[in-house]
Amino acid sequence: MKSGVLRDLAVGAVLVALLLVLPILFPKPALRDFLIYVMAYGLLAMSLNLLVGLTGLVSFGHAAFFASGAYMFGLLMQSGTVGIPVAMLATVGGTAVLALVIGAICVRLKEIYFSFITLAFQMFIHSIILTWVSLTGGDQGLRGGIPRPPFLGIDLNDAMTLYVFCVVVFILCIAIMRQVWRSPFGFTLRMIRDNPTRANFLGADVVRVKLGIFVLAGSMASVGGVLLALFVSGAYPEFGFWTTSGEAIFMIMLGGSQLFIGPVIGAVLLRLLDHFVTIYTDHHGLVLGAVILVIVLGLRQGVADYIVDWLERRRETRAAAASVASEKGAA
Amino acid sequence: MNLEALASCLSTSACAVTQVSTALIIGMLLFMVASGLSLIFGVLGVINFAHGAFYMVGAYFAYAAYQATESFAVAFLAGALGVGLIGILFERFIMSRVYGKDVLMQLLVCYAAILIFDDLVKIIAGPEYKMMGMPEAFALPPLEFGGGFVPAYYVFMILASLAIGIGLWLAIEKTRLGKIVRALAINPPMVSALGINTTMLYAGVFGVGSLLAGIAGALAAPTRTLTPGMGLSILIESFIVTVIGGMGSIVGALIAALLIGFTRAFGAIGFPLFVDGLMFAMMALVLILKPSGLLGREPAR
Amino acid sequence: MSEIKSGIGRRTFIGGAVAGAAVTGFPHIAGAQAKVIKVGMPTILSGRVAILGTSSIPGVQVAFNAINAAGGIDGRKLELVTRDSKGRPDEAAKVTRDLINNDGCEIILDGEASSGSFAVHEVIRDLGVLCLHTNSESSTLTADPKQKVKTAFRCARQGIHDAVAGGSYAAKIAKEKGLKKWMTISPDYAYGRDNTAEFIQYAKVFEPSIEVVDQLWPKLFAPDYTESITKTMQVKPQAVYSALWGGDLVAFIEQSNLYRVFQNTAFFSGGLGDPPILTAIKNLPQGLNTAYRYNKKFPDNPGNEQFNDEYVKLVKHEPTNWGWQNFVAANFVIEALKRTAGKTDGAALASEVSGMQLKTPLGVGGTITMRDTDHTIINYPVAWGKTVSKAPWVVDYVDTEWSKILEIEQQWKKEKGWA
Repeated sequence: MKSGVLRDLAVGAVLVALLLVLPILFPKPALRDFLIYVMAYGLLAMSLNLLVGLTGLVSFGHAAFFASGAYMFGLLMQSGTVGIPVAMLATVGGTAVLALVIGAICVRLKEIYFSFITLAFQMFIHSIILTWVSLTGGDQGLRGGIPRPPFLGIDLNDAMTLYVFCVVVFILCIAIMRQVWRSPFGFTLRMIRDNPTRANFLGADVVRVKLGIFVLAGSMASVGGVLLALFVSGAYPEFGFWTTSGEAIFMIMLGGSQLFIGPVIGAVLLRLLDHFVTIYTDHHGLVLGAVILVIVLGLRQGVADYIVDWLERRRETRAAAASVASEKGAA
Repeated sequence: MNLEALASCLSTSACAVTQVSTALIIGMLLFMVASGLSLIFGVLGVINFAHGAFYMVGAYFAYAAYQATESFAVAFLAGALGVGLIGILFERFIMSRVYGKDVLMQLLVCYAAILIFDDLVKIIAGPEYKMMGMPEAFALPPLEFGGGFVPAYYVFMILASLAIGIGLWLAIEKTRLGKIVRALAINPPMVSALGINTTMLYAGVFGVGSLLAGIAGALAAPTRTLTPGMGLSILIESFIVTVIGGMGSIVGALIAALLIGFTRAFGAIGFPLFVDGLMFAMMALVLILKPSGLLGREPAR
Repeated sequence: MSEIKSGIGRRTFIGGAVAGAAVTGFPHIAGAQAKVIKVGMPTILSGRVAILGTSSIPGVQVAFNAINAAGGIDGRKLELVTRDSKGRPDEAAKVTRDLINNDGCEIILDGEASSGSFAVHEVIRDLGVLCLHTNSESSTLTADPKQKVKTAFRCARQGIHDAVAGGSYAAKIAKEKGLKKWMTISPDYAYGRDNTAEFIQYAKVFEPSIEVVDQLWPKLFAPDYTESITKTMQVKPQAVYSALWGGDLVAFIEQSNLYRVFQNTAFFSGGLGDPPILTAIKNLPQGLNTAYRYNKKFPDNPGNEQFNDEYVKLVKHEPTNWGWQNFVAANFVIEALKRTAGKTDGAALASEVSGMQLKTPLGVGGTITMRDTDHTIINYPVAWGKTVSKAPWVVDYVDTEWSKILEIEQQWKKEKGWA
């Protein structure tokens, strides 16, 4: 257990270092922009994977919390009453409450019906954003920019500072999710995914545990929304549309749901794909659609999962070959 | 909220007739799309999220055929059969590879199909608005019933959808093939053990489901604007219909489609701002109280 | 402010770096590349409103082709780089940044719809390049001083101008024909609601006897309007105003035809005047009133017809409203570049564009002015006409005096606290 924590810390430190060194080596702002996007959507996908990959709850409505993060944060900042740290904490708290209310209804439903009702709630929240024009700006989104007043000597109006801030927040959230992933709570979730009856037998309150992870996943998604709102200096109803949830699902599938970091890899891949496809062709849908088909029908699992499995298989065949060889030698 | 207007509308036959016909016009077309979605789910246990794209393709096929021949009958057949064929191909080459997999896999291939079809339509037909126009045979003044008016084409559309719906129901409930299909929904290995080619049957059912989307597209083409991406809004509505009516139930789809039709037609008079909210609320309520829908059973497999 | 300045410095430096990379990467075209001035356009190229982008691009190309054929700006050619935002404002922000930071675009023609244009506006505030919004009609974008960005302009019709012109035209017809009982049917989103409210407000100012008996708000992109149409038949108004546009409007008119709605109801439309809409409708009723969007016979001069013909060569359909707005915007850019002798610095170009009186066949009296106070164009055509069943589809354009529009606009700004 201890060595696992140490390894996580080491990996985390390397990741932070890498993310901070990259923009120094390649000082184009485009790279920073790209990475901020990946981090914002990566948090959405990672948090969704706590439900999909870890607990087996396929939510079609996760972007609702992404949007709630962006809007709550944007509105708090525009009100001019609080600073960025307070606004972020309040946003995460507020989204947790929202997720608690929605989750309390949703987690009671099983399988595909859970997916449907999360989708219904997302459409409901999306239509509230569209109709409550006086608060949210309706279809035009929160306009006029989101102010970034300096706090504790940190001024997020500077592009590099904003980037570093995003890296720190991102890694912090990843660390929290990593703890859940490998904690006893995480193993209870896996058991619920694989065999809910057994989990119930062993004394786990399935509904309560599911609700717990639903709230946590919602809160983490809201942080992704905050980062995006900070970066684009606005919040838009599209953040909470079902296509955004669909993209997050695609990131998970692209990267892989069983490897902890899989969804982030998926986010990087999808964003890269998106970036280059948009540059080279106007037939974005055709290319993206074809790529999805090739991956889903060809690999039948996420790219990262596929590679991990492939490495495993190779190691096994090698080990088998080695043991055969050593047996022969012994004989 | 204007219940007075609603009451006064219901008390005059002109208003009542017109609004009831409006409900039927909205409801029956929705039923055509939703029944296909529901049929596919009932038998194959997959949700065809590409159904809206099929509806769009049906409309474009009908449009192209009508441009070429000036015949609505040909346009109708082109929309229906063309999409039926695409459905079979889609099932055979793509969808059948993700049966029994994660629902996410199915969602993704359908998403890919939507992206590809939308782009193909944009490339081939262009992004401009297209309108097929009213066929000569229906270019009549609206028909009068008890002071209310209903356009001739809509009368045809309602009756045609109803006839197709009844035909579908009879085929499933009263024929031998229908019995096999119902058995297939419950116990595929048993059907297969009886020496029936289930692969063909799956493809056939998917084809019929798609055909229904194609029919809806063809029926919509004379009155609705054709654009890439036009399948999205009808996908969402027919999805609500299928969830409320019960995944896999044709009769449930009809009831739910009419429920939505009446909500919209009379909601426009009595409570225009709450129509959308009411539709989502109905869906959420059904899911909470009876997740399998009004007339649905637990999904196969 | 200092951050913004340093941002510009960094940006220009990067632009140079990108050009340098291009030189090493593509030796054959290196000479041409270094000379090209890249103009970026974020717009919508997929989904239901793909025509927004696909009909905007050829407008720019007509103008760029002309200047490039004439040798460019001191030998430097202009190149348009387009990106699909897929209708997502955050994506619009991202592709705009990419266009500037990554692709070396030095000027932005923003072809986004209104929500996307606000997102692009914020990027321009950050990066300080010259930007002309070419499709957003939302009045707040430029009229609200809070939104002002030094290097951002609007080269598109503006809601308040249309409202005054539409209101005065409608009032005149209402007076002539005694149309008192009005109804509105407009899409339920910011543009639809604002446009409708302003139209009605000014129609009432000019003709106080106008009374609005009901207002219907079908959803944006609704495929079917039957419930709104039958509701209209219950209410029996004498006239209907609609802010529906695009494919929605095509469906609405065809579906209304089935009920013979326009036989005894006058119809006023803010969006019918686009040629691709007029030609998509199979049975265009005669005598519908519509705002000018584009017409090759209006303004009636050879320059306009030439623009129309060049445009049709590129895309096989006549220009939309977006087509001419982008054509004019591209010409503002070209004229500004001529005056700075090819210098692409945002502030320098902005000071040229601000207040520029551009000679263009699309202008009233041959010029369109970029007003310096609020960075938006005036003196463009804001006429209303009536439909006929064959080409040119809309005739009898009635122009509204710009002096009248400007006077009322000033009052409106005062009421809003913006002037």
